[in-house]
Amino acid sequence: MSITTGADPVIPAGSASPLTKRRPFGDRSFQVLCLAAGLLVLIILALIAISMTQQSTTWFTTAGWSGVFSTNWDPAHNAYGALPFIYGTLVTAAIAIVIAFPMSLGIALLLTEVVPGRYARPIVYVIDLLAVVPSVVWGLWGFLVLAPWLQKIYQSIASGLTGFPVLSTFFGGTSVSGTSFFTTGLILAIMITPIVTSLSREVIATVPTIDREGAYALGATRWEMIRGAVWPHSQAGVVGAVLLGLGRAMGETIAAALVIGSSATITTHLFNPGYSMPSVIANEFGEATVGEFRSALIGMGVLLFVLTIIINLSARAIVDRSARRTRGA
Amino acid sequence: MQLRGRKHVATVGGAVAVALLAACSSSSSSSSSSTGATSAPAATAAAASGTLNGAGSTFQLTFQQAAISAYKSVASGVTVNYDGVGSGSGRADLYAGTVNYAGSDSTIPATEESKLNGRKVLYFPVLIGPIDVAYNLPGISNLKLSPKVISDIFQAKVTTWNASEIKSINPGVNLPSTPITLAVRSDSSGTTQNFTLFLQDAVGSAWALGSSSTVKWPSTAHAASGNGGVATTIKSTAGAIGYVDYATAQASGLTGASVQNKAGQFVAPSTTAASAAAAGVTVKPDLTFHAVWASTDPSAYPITYQSWDIVYATQPNATDASLLKAYLGFLIGQQGQALLAPLHYAPLPSNIDSMATAQLSQITS
Amino acid sequence: MMAIASEQQTVDLREPGGWRRTKNQIATVGMWVAFVVMLIPLGFVLFTVIAKGASAISWQFLTGNIPINVLPVTFGGVGPAVYGTLVITGFASLMAIPLGVLGGIYINEYGGNQVLARVINFFADVMTGVPSIIMGLFIFTIWVLHFGYSGFAGSLALACLMLPIVIRSTYEMLRLVPDSLREASYALGATKARVTLTVVLPAAIGGIVSGALLAVARAAGETAPLVFTILVTQTLNKNLFSGANTALSTLIFQNATQPYTGAQARAWGSALTLIAIAFILMIVARLITARFARYDR
Repeated sequence: MSITTGADPVIPAGSASPLTKRRPFGDRSFQVLCLAAGLLVLIILALIAISMTQQSTTWFTTAGWSGVFSTNWDPAHNAYGALPFIYGTLVTAAIAIVIAFPMSLGIALLLTEVVPGRYARPIVYVIDLLAVVPSVVWGLWGFLVLAPWLQKIYQSIASGLTGFPVLSTFFGGTSVSGTSFFTTGLILAIMITPIVTSLSREVIATVPTIDREGAYALGATRWEMIRGAVWPHSQAGVVGAVLLGLGRAMGETIAAALVIGSSATITTHLFNPGYSMPSVIANEFGEATVGEFRSALIGMGVLLFVLTIIINLSARAIVDRSARRTRGA
Repeated sequence: MQLRGRKHVATVGGAVAVALLAACSSSSSSSSSSTGATSAPAATAAAASGTLNGAGSTFQLTFQQAAISAYKSVASGVTVNYDGVGSGSGRADLYAGTVNYAGSDSTIPATEESKLNGRKVLYFPVLIGPIDVAYNLPGISNLKLSPKVISDIFQAKVTTWNASEIKSINPGVNLPSTPITLAVRSDSSGTTQNFTLFLQDAVGSAWALGSSSTVKWPSTAHAASGNGGVATTIKSTAGAIGYVDYATAQASGLTGASVQNKAGQFVAPSTTAASAAAAGVTVKPDLTFHAVWASTDPSAYPITYQSWDIVYATQPNATDASLLKAYLGFLIGQQGQALLAPLHYAPLPSNIDSMATAQLSQITS
Repeated sequence: MMAIASEQQTVDLREPGGWRRTKNQIATVGMWVAFVVMLIPLGFVLFTVIAKGASAISWQFLTGNIPINVLPVTFGGVGPAVYGTLVITGFASLMAIPLGVLGGIYINEYGGNQVLARVINFFADVMTGVPSIIMGLFIFTIWVLHFGYSGFAGSLALACLMLPIVIRSTYEMLRLVPDSLREASYALGATKARVTLTVVLPAAIGGIVSGALLAVARAAGETAPLVFTILVTQTLNKNLFSGANTALSTLIFQNATQPYTGAQARAWGSALTLIAIAFILMIVARLITARFARYDR
């Protein structure tokens, strides 16, 4: 028996699987506790899925698959097609990620590679400040300040691009009030930047100094060192951080509801008003009549859920295939 | 999965612990009178204590807030909570039993009747109010609109202010050639529902968008959140027109158009005109009615709507019944109705008010 | 190799030449631009909130009772909402942070390559994408229908929102602690729990705390989950577990779209208060991390 801990040295300490009687009670119970906490995620999700599906069966059965995926959302005439909202959710989240990823990565690299230690702290506080602005304030600011300002910019871009083959299909439209897919994507990008930056920064900061110094020793510039030593090590972690941000962007409710324009149309024009799943739920739930309308809104929550799973699955497949298993050193 | 048994125990244990912790310190039912309930049936309102929860219409919200505040001096032991979540959600809360009363701008639709499970509900109208068709045309303060013209404007069939349709009913008014900018609600609302109901009733099939708390407006419309959002849009855009409730229009300094009523007269929105509209409606015995496009009174404002507090006729216990009777009685009684005018609502016409007061006795337990 | 080296011109290894140097400078400038670009909206929003809200703030504003909408901002204040936010968010953090950290520990330390751990990890990602309004509806169905509206129901909804964020960030941080630390501890005969709690966790504490704080800050600003669970009211309710309650976030949302100037001023004042509260929490926690983290970066 070991003097210090009383554990039997025959049993390898730290082995996860055998919950045998010989492991100390405290150790075993801690493991069970952690397992229970982890399982809470699955339980909550299962409960959410079950309760929401129960409440949305009216919509699925009444509208059928063609009704659910139709492009016509007209509650006054009992039409509840969800396709415009699925489209809007994907488009705004994509815009948010495209804008936020380089920004967040840039700031994270700034904090870890460029700025010396003591000056990094004020910058970190500033990014924290970005994180604590409530989503409703972002939405209100977006609607009152950003949208009207962007409306003029959209108009000038659109008129400047008339005739251009590809660009005008995306940037040729305009919005009467400035609320649009693009405005929403912009606000979402601002909102997810702190999370993605914070996690990326922590991930990048734990790249072993040896790798960094080795690159410098070979004469690399800072940028080359980042590409050669930092990026391969932190790639998987950064993509994980971006996934977290994507999740938040797709699920953001209030801010998107205020600046998306509330127009259930599918269009390639990013400067046109649109609609997304969480926005329509937020906007229309309060007065939705109990019955197919309410059921349709909850059903869209279910669809969003499924969408999140699909996107996460594909992103994870990409990450697992490209990341080297670098756990620790 | 050999871990299944243990997994089950560990996680259920965790969940139960959390639930027990909360249940121990919470009262067990939603609409409880937690402190020592009054047992004497003859207890006056002043001695009563307990909690009442209400939710629903945002149209009623300001009135409910004022009434709750004033009720404190009448019955200091009673706490009333009202949340303006929307008529649909308020009714849903009533069906689920999480609130004592629901504020609703419309009667329970046929599709929702099954949720009542056969229980009887009582409608208590509490206020009347006009919906302004507010506009922003600098220098023009007496715009007249007929239901047909309004219907064409809001379906984007008429797109400039100097269109012949508008000109013909506004002779002598110098209408500019500014394009019309529509301001509509992005969130669902009882105001939208009643405004579109008015259009449907007044012009029939010429209004194609239907009537609902959410409507598919033309794609050129500006959507904004809440009555306040629409008011802000109208105020900041020259040539804008939109529908807002009267209280909002007054608070924002917006002018509402004079709308042609059933008698052919053009009436400006005001609380007096709203009362005139409500005085002439046919009220069913269960106190349901709709005030839009109903009255033939020449001084009636045709886009006038109403809001009810809906309760179950049979309450789960005597305390709830007496608390509700007292509070609802306060709302429709003289003290409550007196709060309405400064808030730019119209009080109930006296015939409806007496019917409602008589209905109070139908709340039993 | 030697022949090639001697054929080259003498290269000054301190200064990389031409295009490489330019690329490096562009990259550095790019990083600064990214930071400045993020500063612009932040500056704008703070300016708007301060300009509209600062005049409303006073001790009476922070502690006074909520008046009816129409009254100007000089009457009453938002005291009940401040209390509600602090208590509801505080309790939610109390539930979510320990559970989240434990969950992250499970995935990284005990899970290994097991299917269960990977499944939990994957679904924690999925859970961050569940819209906040769905969390509110969920707690409404599961809890409010049986136990009524309360501040605690709001805490549950917020805790559900925070849990996956804390799990994910804990997992990411623990994952990067070098195995050599763990192996050294095992070599000394420590049990797994001991290793995790006394060696691994402190090594990752900086990132874990910052992840947890981001989760708290987000929860404090959330409106949708509370709308369905607390039955927003005007009066102060000190009992978290029973009866309707209110919070700053719901007050902001309800008031800001009202036409009355008093209501709007209260909304902006509340926004400023909320940002200040969350920011103070952030600074305090960052200071704690700086002081107590065992491994400095």
